[in-house]
Amino acid sequence: MTKRSNWWPWLLGAWMAVVIWAAFYYAPAARGFKGESARIVFFHVPQAWVAVLAFCVNLVASIRYLRSRHPLDDARAATAARLGLVFSVLATVTGSVFARVMWGSFWNWDPREVSIVILLLVYAAYFALREAVGDPERRSSLSASYAILAFVTMPFLVFVVPRIYWSLHPDTLINARGSIDMESRMVQTLLGSLVGFTALFFWLYSLDVRLAKIRWARRERQGG
Amino acid sequence: MPQPESLLWVATVTVLIWLGLFGYCFGLDRRVRRLEEGE
Repeated sequence: MTKRSNWWPWLLGAWMAVVIWAAFYYAPAARGFKGESARIVFFHVPQAWVAVLAFCVNLVASIRYLRSRHPLDDARAATAARLGLVFSVLATVTGSVFARVMWGSFWNWDPREVSIVILLLVYAAYFALREAVGDPERRSSLSASYAILAFVTMPFLVFVVPRIYWSLHPDTLINARGSIDMESRMVQTLLGSLVGFTALFFWLYSLDVRLAKIRWARRERQGG
Repeated sequence: MPQPESLLWVATVTVLIWLGLFGYCFGLDRRVRRLEEGE
């Protein structure tokens, strides 16, 4: 087994330390928001982005599984869906903290809040399905097919529904006019955080896939 | 407890989430390396 380099987690740690410093000291306070609440955007938006990215990876791995029927592709799909679910929950938590400051309550039944809950349920059902089917091949095929259907709902729930109905949610990062109305230091901090969270996602994803490979190799040895 | 709109509150929530994720990754990284070395 080749020795993997372990310097880059430290680089990521240092990178995010700078991003956290920038989020609270370098970036100016946003106009029109109560207190320091808007600074949460530097973490909330990257978490939502990573959730969308994870669901895209889940789709690609599911399609690959249906073509290859290789258990590792199924493991890749499940890992991506799990991370998508985790980051969706984190985006909901940070969004609720912002909602508490701005609108006085952690939960307001806003269209964006409701659509993210539906998305969470759609992907929670993916795992319920995986748990419900005993036969591994059947489980993998059914969950890969379900993942494709689940992905169809994702753009609708994340990007379309919140734009159809009136929402308390502030303008999205790239607004309807196609521009980013943010001070340049805020944009720099947000981009830095996006890079950091994306790297964290791929780190987590690769670790889970490596773990799945080890388990799969052990099962193969026991089976053979 | 800090006020919800204060910098301390926002910083506590965001930094705890980040440290939790990063700490989990670090622990998992060590575990996976150990398992790979044992293979």
